[in-house]
Order: sequence, then structure tokens, then C-alpha cells
Amino acid sequence: MEDYIIEHTPDYNNPVLTVEDLVVKFNLRGQVLTAVRGISLELYKGESLAIVGESGSGKSVFTKTFMGLLDNNGWIDNGHIYYHDYDLTTFKKEKDWTKIRGQRIAMVFQDPMTSLNPLKTVGKQIQEAFTLHNKVSKAEAKARTLELLADVGIPEPEKRYKQYPHEFSGGMRQRVVIAIAMACVPEILICDEPTTALDVTIQAQILDLLKKLQAKYGLTVIYITHDLGVVANVADRIAVMYAGDIVEIGTCDEVFYDPKHPYTWALLSSLPQLGIKGEDLYSIQGTPPNLFQHIQGDAFAPRNPQALKVDFVARPPYFEVTPTHKARTWLLDPRAPKIDPPPHLKNIMNLNRGGDLSNG
Amino acid sequence: MLRYILGRLGRAMITLFLVLSIVFLLMRLLPVDGYFEGRTDTMSETVKNNILKELGLLDPWYKQLYNFWRKLLLEGDLGKSIVMRKGVPCVDVIWPKAKTSFQFGIIALGIQMLIGYPLGVLMARSKGKFVDTLGNAYVLLINALPAAVYFLAIQLYLSTLLKLPMLFDPLDWKSRILPIICLSLGGIASNAMWMRRYMVDQMNMDYIRLARAKGMTSSQVAFRHVMRNAFIPMAQSLPTSLLFTISGSLYVESLFSIPGMGGLLIQSIQRQDNTMVQAMVLLYSVISVTGLLLGDIMMMICDPRIKLVKKGDSR
Repeated sequence: MEDYIIEHTPDYNNPVLTVEDLVVKFNLRGQVLTAVRGISLELYKGESLAIVGESGSGKSVFTKTFMGLLDNNGWIDNGHIYYHDYDLTTFKKEKDWTKIRGQRIAMVFQDPMTSLNPLKTVGKQIQEAFTLHNKVSKAEAKARTLELLADVGIPEPEKRYKQYPHEFSGGMRQRVVIAIAMACVPEILICDEPTTALDVTIQAQILDLLKKLQAKYGLTVIYITHDLGVVANVADRIAVMYAGDIVEIGTCDEVFYDPKHPYTWALLSSLPQLGIKGEDLYSIQGTPPNLFQHIQGDAFAPRNPQALKVDFVARPPYFEVTPTHKARTWLLDPRAPKIDPPPHLKNIMNLNRGGDLSNG
Repeated sequence: MLRYILGRLGRAMITLFLVLSIVFLLMRLLPVDGYFEGRTDTMSETVKNNILKELGLLDPWYKQLYNFWRKLLLEGDLGKSIVMRKGVPCVDVIWPKAKTSFQFGIIALGIQMLIGYPLGVLMARSKGKFVDTLGNAYVLLINALPAAVYFLAIQLYLSTLLKLPMLFDPLDWKSRILPIICLSLGGIASNAMWMRRYMVDQMNMDYIRLARAKGMTSSQVAFRHVMRNAFIPMAQSLPTSLLFTISGSLYVESLFSIPGMGGLLIQSIQRQDNTMVQAMVLLYSVISVTGLLLGDIMMMICDPRIKLVKKGDSR
């Protein structure tokens, strides 16, 4: 593969997607569950944003709303998603969405072993993504497909074009899935745990590929992950999600080296690299809140040993730490007592960023 | 691939040999009274002996078996019916009946597929909605109700309602309609049920999510991705059901007095018509074995993941 510059340049003055006070609910066995509780977010052109959080924190559901891929029992209850001239929350018909999906916003899924149709050749599946949105001749479509295969680093594209998914390894399949996402050169690429199902050496290759593609095509990339190593490796900004809300958002450095929210502290404390030999690894006590019920105050308060009284009563607003860094915690209120982050978090400084972290 | 098929055929031959020999010997274990057609009391021992001798039944079993295979393999002769239609070659007895059953069966099979599969697709695509509920009700009704009940209802009420003949008449094509409806109902239900089930299974797969994320509409997804994948598990049984249409349906054929194959094997066994039993067992075994082989080849054609190789063959 040819070498191009790996650096990409985020343009923080140019938001491509703006989410305002988004609420997503699901109907589950007659009960209503609130999966996303009023998220506002600006996604900037060319940046890579990592959304981190534990399973069930709503990070996948949140990004699925950008493509209208919520399950049938889910709906957007409130809020807006502005993308260019559209408000995606007003899209009802499939025809509206097909203009966006695959063409403007594309997605890479978690498990490459099951993401491809086992009965169609890899070439046909990539080609399909291209011809859906572009009226071209068969020969042109094939040429474009071969180009894409080469672009995602699959050797011998001519031969691979005719093969079926079961003839590909996991890493190669993920490259195919990425090629499908890249078929129409989308503006936004959502990667839903793109490396979770892969082994560590392949993970690095796939992240590398995504970074190269981002630089080459000026993509805006959203990574959804619970692997902080991946985050350290690729993200410009980090949004920490807990119980359907973004509790802290900031640049990679700000969130890693100057975290403000107690949940972020807890999350970072769980990094195995911070463990002390001979002692148990840190784990967050308790369980995430029940999303079927209304959440009073700070959702993390019941699991936070140092929670303030106000945390159980009122939901904290966002407090701005720097223009790029804000967190939803009463600790940032001027009236709050001074509670310092756990001292061992300072050790993150000593870890070589992107190196040691990503080997976790 | 060719080696695999040849190997399969070889094993099929062994299967056929064993099945036929075992059935042959089992028939010889039946009490001999059956060969005297209920006149056991009035016949003298000499007459009985003569009958048995004429049928070759007094020879030791291995000699009888040897003779049977020699005649079948060297002369292609399955023998003549000894009870049902005495003196008529078995093949001549079976052939016209098989043809009649096949004519009904093939049309019914066609209808089962033409209505059953699209119904299943429709149900899967409207899962949980009205069409789906209606289809499920039909499937449930057909499966829960004994066939005898709705066959009779069709014969009695539908015939008067539509002014169609109640019994089969080879010269009147209209008399074929009701039996074909009877033969089709069950197959439509099961085709629709399985098609729906496999489609729903497929629709929950990850690759369908990816296909939707590509920007395909749900009908594009259903037709380009789901249907073919859902059909594969059903492809294997197609050749077998096609071949077995000649075996006819016992109940439908007796209800409409169709001179078909239904019940012929049972009658032959009951009346101890050894040669007829042997001929029919051979026929049905050949059908089963070929059906399975064709089914496997069909699977291979439909699913690129399946390669037919003999154990130990290099890929």
C-alpha cells in the first residue's frame, strides 16, 4: 500500500452534525425505557470523536439515530439532529434515509464474521453499496470496487473480488466491511466497536487503516468503544457516556490527564495498566441505573462513594472547564467542596500515550 | 466433486442391496397361509405344496434370494404379481398407477411452492401485522385439524358449492380440481411456515443491518439478501418431495377414488404379494437415495460454502 500522511486535520469551527437535546426511548415488553437522556453534541468536520462508556450506556443507540437504524420498538422522543439542511429527526420515510445511509453517513460494525452476506461474493457486496447511489455501468462499478479493495489494503483485488466471505480472515473481512462503508466516500463514518472482535495485532492494523482513510478522504469519524486503548490511539476528542447521557467531553488530553467527572475517574481507574502488582484491579461498585425508571440527580451518584447530597436531588448542568472541555458534575460548581481525583490517576501521565495504553 | 458423486452412488448401491434383501427375507418370514388367499381350510396339503412350489417358496432362503437378484440384475426382471393381479408383470401394474399419482402430485407440488413461498415471504415482511396473523391462523388450522376433517369438508361442501364432481373421472378435467386442492393445502401451510421462519431468522442477522446501512430499502434487502438465504435450508428437501409425488396420497386417492399409488404398498404387504412388495420397495428406495443425493447437489449449487468432497479428498 502506498504511504500517505497519517495526520488528519479537524476543523473545530465547522460542525457537520449538531445534536440538540436528543431523547430516545424504547418500548420493551410494555414498559418504556429511556436509552438516551437529552444529549447535545457538535461533531466537527474532519475530527475523530470517541464515544466511550460501558455496555448499555446507550452509545450505539445514540449513533444509530444518525442513520435511522433504531430497532422498530425505539423512537426519538425529543430533540433534533441537524445535518446540512436536514433535521434527521423529521425523517420518517425510508426514501429520506436512503439518501443519507451509505452515501453521506456510513457505518462499520463490530463483528466482521457476521456482517457480510455469506452467499454473495465480496466484490458484489461492495459493488452493491456503490451502485445503490451511483448510476454507472457494470464495468465502471467493478473498476471502482477493485479500487476500493486496493484502498483498504486487500492484496490481489481481482482474485479477491470473486471470493466469498468465508474465504477471508477476520481482519480481511473487516477491511471488506470498511470498503463497503467507503464505497460512496461518506462524510461521516461511524465505527461501532470496529476492533472488538479482532485479535490485538489485527486491531492495530485496522485502526491504522481507518486513520489513513480519514486523512486521505477528510472523513469525520465517530468511534464507539469501551476500549480506552483504542481511544488513546485514534481520538481527537472523547465523549464519556453514562446511563444515556454524555457526562464529560473534551479533547483526548483533557479527558485522560485532567478528568473532572467521578465516573471518568472510575473508568480510568479501571485501566489494568494502573493496577499495582499484587493488588486487585479497580472495579466500579454497583450496577448501572435502571433505565426504565426516571433518574433523579446525577445518574452515577449511587455508585459514587464521594457523592454529594445535591447529586441525588438535582441533575448537574454542564460546567465548562475550558472551551473544549465540559463535564456534568456538581464538583465543578464553585460552592462544591474540593474533592480530588484518585491520586493514582496521575500515573496515566507516566504511561506513554498511545503506546502502553493501546496494548491493554 | 465427480469422485464424491461416484462414491455416493457406490454407497447408494450397497444401501439398496441391503434394504431390498432385508425386505425380501422379512416377507419370507410371514406365515405361508397368506398365499392361499383365505382358502386354507378347503385346500389339501398337496395343493398347498404345489402353490408354494410354483412360487419358488419351498427353496432354502439363500437360494430364493440368489434367484431374485440374478433375475433382477441379469434380466432386469422384477417378476410378476402373484396375488394382486396375478400374472401381470409388476412394472405394468405399478407404472400406470404411478403416472396417475404423479400427475396429481406434480401439480399440487407446484401450487404448494407458488402459493406457499410467496405467502411465507409476505408473512415475514409483515411480521406481527394483519397478513402475518392471518397466515399464522391458516398454518395453525391446517396443522391442528386432522386432514380427514378438511378433506371431507372439501369433498362434501366445496363440490356442491362450486358444482364440481365429487369423484375422479379420467375424462373430466374438472374432477381433478378438488383432489389437487386437498393435496396442496398442507404443503402450502408448511412451505409458508418455514419460509417465514427462515426469513425472520435471516432478517435478524448482522449482515442485514449492514445491508440497510448501505442505504438499501427494506424490500431491496428482502429480495436481494434475505430470500435466497432463507431458501437454502429448504432446497435440500425439494428433489425428494418432487420424486415422492409418484407415491400418491392414500387418503386423498381413496376419498376421490383415484387409481393411484396411494395404499398400493400396504395392500401388497397385507396380501403377501411378494414380488409387488419387492418391486415397490426397490422403487421407493431408489427414489429416496437419489432424492438425497440430488438434494445435496442442490445445496452445493445454492450455497458457496458447501463443497462436496469425499473424506480425505484435497480441496
